[in-house]
Amino acid sequence: MAALVRGLRDQFDWPLFVSAAAIAVIGVVNLYSATSASGARSDIYIQQIYWLTLGAGVAVLVAAVDYRHFERHGWVAYGVGIVLLLLVFLLGKSIRGSTRWITFGDFTLQPSELMKICIIIALAKYLHNDPKTEGRTLKDLVIPGLILAVPMSLILLQPDLGTAMICACIFGTIMMLTKLKLRSLFTLAAAFVLSAPLTWTYLLKEYQRDRLTAFLHPEQDLLDTGWHAHQSLVAIGSGGIWGKGFMQGTQNQHRFLPDQHSDFPFAVWAEEQGMVGVALMLGLYLFVIIWALKIASQAKDRFGAVTAVGVAALLFWHSVINIGMVMGLLPVVGVTLPLFSYGGSSVLTVMIGVGLLMNVSMRRFHF
Amino acid sequence: MTLLSQRREVGEFKKRYKWMALVVLLIFGVLGVRAVLLQIVDHEHYAAIARENITKTIVLPATRGIIRDTTGRLIASNEPVYNVYVTPQLIRPETDLDRISELMALDEEQRSSFEERLQKVPPSRRTHQIEMFSGIAREQLAALETHARELPGVDVVAVPMRTYAYGSLGAHAVGYLNEVSAEDLERLAEQGYVAGDRVGRTGLESAWESYLRGRRGYRRVLVDARGSLAEDLETEVGGDQPMRRDPVPGRDISLTLDMELMRTIERAFRGHPSGAAVVVDVRTGRVRALYSKPAYDLNELSGRLTDSRYAELEDNPFRPLIDKTLYESYFPGSTFKPMAAIAALQDSVVDPSARVNCPGFLQIGRDRKRCSTAHGDVDMRRAIVQSCNVYFWTTAMAVGLERLNRFGHDFGFGQRTGIGINSEASGFLPSRAWYTEHFGRFRVGYTLDAAIGQGNTRTTLLQLAMAYAAIANGGTIFVPQLVERVSSPDGEVIEEFGPRVRRRVSVDRQHLAYVVDGLYGVVNDPSGTAYDARIAGGVPVAGKTGTAQVARRAPRPGEDPNRAWYFNRDHAWFAGFAPAGAPQVAIVVLVEHGGGGGRYAAPVAMQILQEYLSAQEGTSATTGTGPVLARTGGQ
Repeated sequence: MAALVRGLRDQFDWPLFVSAAAIAVIGVVNLYSATSASGARSDIYIQQIYWLTLGAGVAVLVAAVDYRHFERHGWVAYGVGIVLLLLVFLLGKSIRGSTRWITFGDFTLQPSELMKICIIIALAKYLHNDPKTEGRTLKDLVIPGLILAVPMSLILLQPDLGTAMICACIFGTIMMLTKLKLRSLFTLAAAFVLSAPLTWTYLLKEYQRDRLTAFLHPEQDLLDTGWHAHQSLVAIGSGGIWGKGFMQGTQNQHRFLPDQHSDFPFAVWAEEQGMVGVALMLGLYLFVIIWALKIASQAKDRFGAVTAVGVAALLFWHSVINIGMVMGLLPVVGVTLPLFSYGGSSVLTVMIGVGLLMNVSMRRFHF
Repeated sequence: MTLLSQRREVGEFKKRYKWMALVVLLIFGVLGVRAVLLQIVDHEHYAAIARENITKTIVLPATRGIIRDTTGRLIASNEPVYNVYVTPQLIRPETDLDRISELMALDEEQRSSFEERLQKVPPSRRTHQIEMFSGIAREQLAALETHARELPGVDVVAVPMRTYAYGSLGAHAVGYLNEVSAEDLERLAEQGYVAGDRVGRTGLESAWESYLRGRRGYRRVLVDARGSLAEDLETEVGGDQPMRRDPVPGRDISLTLDMELMRTIERAFRGHPSGAAVVVDVRTGRVRALYSKPAYDLNELSGRLTDSRYAELEDNPFRPLIDKTLYESYFPGSTFKPMAAIAALQDSVVDPSARVNCPGFLQIGRDRKRCSTAHGDVDMRRAIVQSCNVYFWTTAMAVGLERLNRFGHDFGFGQRTGIGINSEASGFLPSRAWYTEHFGRFRVGYTLDAAIGQGNTRTTLLQLAMAYAAIANGGTIFVPQLVERVSSPDGEVIEEFGPRVRRRVSVDRQHLAYVVDGLYGVVNDPSGTAYDARIAGGVPVAGKTGTAQVARRAPRPGEDPNRAWYFNRDHAWFAGFAPAGAPQVAIVVLVEHGGGGGRYAAPVAMQILQEYLSAQEGTSATTGTGPVLARTGGQ
C-alpha cells in the first residue's frame, strides 16, 4: 500500500495537473468577471465549479483504470457515443435553430463534445491493432475515415459545423502521426480543394456564409457579426500591456462582447489582464499541448501514443481556433476554449481528456 | 495483464512528435505576435474606440427665440416639458427594462414598443442619448428622478417645447415647427441638424429659423465599468471633440403684427367661413395684421400631428392650409379700378369731369357687357363711388392695356412685395404679348376686363394693401415689414429694422387726391357702394368695394350638391384706408364666396377699422370729416 502511494506520488504527472488546474481556476475567476454584468447569468461561475468538480472526479476514474481497458472496450465507447448522438435527434433540445443537446432533468448534455473523445479512442484502437511500417494508402484510410465520417455526419445534421470541424481536425492530426503515401496525401488535398465550393453552397447555412464574408470584409459589415468581432479586437487591444484590471474591462462590463461566457471569455481576459495575462494563458495552453505530445512520445504502446496525440489535438485545435477567432484571425465559429469557456459538456470532455493524458503518462513506467 | 492486448510498436510515430511540436510552437507564435500587434502596436487605436464606446454625450438643448407682437405680447414661446433620453449601451436588458417600466408605470403596449425601439437602435448609435418619451407626467418625472442613481442609462431632460399663445390666430404668418425628416437631414446636416430636431416649416418660424434656432450644446462624459459617471475620467477623453459646448439660445424677434387687431379681425369674420384680411401701416409699410381664415392650431401642427388629422386639413374645402393673404392670388375686381383712374389722370388721357352715359351695359360688336345697374351720366368720381363698369370700360379704351399695366406695375402689382414668408405669389398683370401667346390674338375686350380687375389680372391681398397704402400716403410703395427688431434673450436689441421704401410712384399728388376723394365717396356718399356699411360718427374710411367673379366649379365627387352654390358665389372685396383725413392704416378684406363686396366685405372692414382705430390712444385723427388730400386737390 505504501509502495502504491509512493508509486502514485512519483508517477503522478504534476506538471500536467498543475497547468490544467491553473487554467481551470483562472477560467472560473475570469467567468466571474465576464458574467457579472449580465444579471441572469451572473451565477454561471458557480455552475462551472460544479462541472469542474464533477469533471475532476471523472478524470480521476479515467486516470485510475489502466488505459488498455479502454483499448479493449474501445468500440463500446464509440458505440455509446454514436447512440447518444442518435438520441439527440429523438430527445434533442433546440436552441437557436440547431439541436445539439439532450436534457436529463436539470442536466444538459452535448453528446457531440463527448464524441470527440470516443473518436480519439476508436482511432487509437484501430491504429493500435493495425501496425504498419510502410506508408498507408487511401485504402488503408477507409476504416479510420468511416470512424470519423459516421459521427461527423450526425453532428453536421444537428447542425454544428464547429464541432464537426474540430472532429475532422483531430482526425487529421492523428493521421499525420502515421506514415501516409505522398500520392494519397495529394489526392486527399485535391479532393478537399474541389469539395470546398460544394461545401459553401450546400453544406453551409446562410448565417455561416454571412460570418465568413463578414470575416473577409470586416469593413462591409460593422453590424451584428462583424460588429461583435470588431468589439472583441477593441477589448483586446484596449487592454494594453497590463490590462484594465479585474472587473474593470469596459468592453466586458458594458456588454460590447457577445457570448462573453462561452465564445469570448478570452477577450474579457485579454482586456482586463492585458498582454501579461495573454502571455500567461498562451503559455499555459502551449505547455499543456507540448506536454501532451511529450506524454505521447513516451507512451509504451500505440494506443497510448495515439490517445495522447488525440487529446493534444483536441486541446490545440480548440484553443487555436477560439483564440484566433477572438483575435480576429479566424471567422466567428462557436468553438470553446478548453476549461476557460463555460459549458458542462465541454468541461467534462476536456477533463476526460486530461484524465486520459494522466493515465498514459502514469502507465509509461509499467513494464 | 494477459487479458489486455500486447504492447504495440510505437516506432512508426517517433519522428512525428517533433514536427507536431514545431507546428504547435509556430502557431502559438502567430497568436503571440497577433497579441503584441493588438495590445502594444495598435493599443492607442483600440483604447480610443473603447473610450468612445463608453462616452456618453448629453444633449444641452438650445432655447428657441421667442416671438412677440408689436406691443410685446407673447406669440410663440417655450414651455419646459420633460423628455426621457435613454443611452442604449447603458441599459441592462434583464433588470433595467423592468425598473423603467415600473417607475414610469408603462402599460404592456408602451413597454413592448419601448423595447422594440431600443432594439432598433443601430450599434453605432448605442452610446448616444435617444429620445424615448417626451412630455412625461409629473409622477413619472418624480419617480425617475428619485431613482436616477440606479439607472445610469436613463436621463430626464427638461426640454423647451414650443407653445403658441394665440393658437390658430395668425397661424399662417407665424408658422409652425416640426421634426426634420430624413430628406431634410441630407440637406441640413451641414448646419448641424440631427434627427429629432425641430425646424420651422412655414411662416416666420421658417423664414427666421436661423435667428430663432440657436445652437444646441452638449456635454461628453465617460462612464466607468459599472456605468456610473466617472468625472475624473473626463479630462482623459481627449479626441477631436471638446468635452463641453454650451448651448446658445436663439434670438427673440418682435413683430409688427398687433395681436389685439388680429382678435378684432377674428371677431369681424364671424359668420364668414372663409376669407382673409391684411392691415398695413401706410406711413411705414409695417404689417399690422395678416389674417387668413380658416386656420389651424399651431400647437397641434407643432406637436405630433396624426396623418388623418393632416388629411382632414388638406381635404377641407375652405383650404385652411393655404395662406390667403399672400400665397393665393385672386381677381381684384373693382378694387383695381383706381389704377385705371390713376393711369387716365396722370397721362391726361381722360378729363375726369367729362361724363359718360351708362345705360347699364356696353355694346362691343355683338357682345353686350353688363354693368351693375344703369348709372346714367357719370364722371370719374361718381364712377368710382358707384363702381360703374361702363365708365371704366370706356376709359380703358382710351388708356390702353400697356399704360394700365405700367401704372399697375408702378403700384406693385405683378411682382412679389418682398415680405419674405410663405413663398408669396407674384400676382399677374397680363400683357398684350401674353394674350397673343395664349389666346392667339389680342382683343380689345381684354383691356376692358383688365380695367375692372377681371379677366386675367390677379393680385394677392398683400399687394393690394401695399398699393392702397401708397394711394393713402401720397405715393410711397413700402416693402411690407413683419419684423421690427431682433433681440437677445435678455432683452438687448441686436438689430432694429426701419421702414424700407421700395419706390415712389410717378403720379402727381393732385391725381392721387382726386382718387382718394372718390374712395371717400364710396363709403360716405349716400350713393356709394359701401355707404350702407359705414359706421356713422365713427372713424372716416375711404375705400373701394369689389366683387370678383369666380370660375364656375362643378361639384366634386361625393360633395353635397347643396354646397355647390356656395363655391360658385363671387368673392367679396373691400380695400381702403382710415382715417380718411390722415390715413394711418390701409386695409384689405376678402370674404371668399361672400357675394357683393359692398354688402359683405365692407362691413367687416368697417368693424375692424372702427375697433382698431378707436382703441389706438392719442391719435388725433380718429375723428374728422373729409379727406385732407381731397380738399387740397383740385376738384
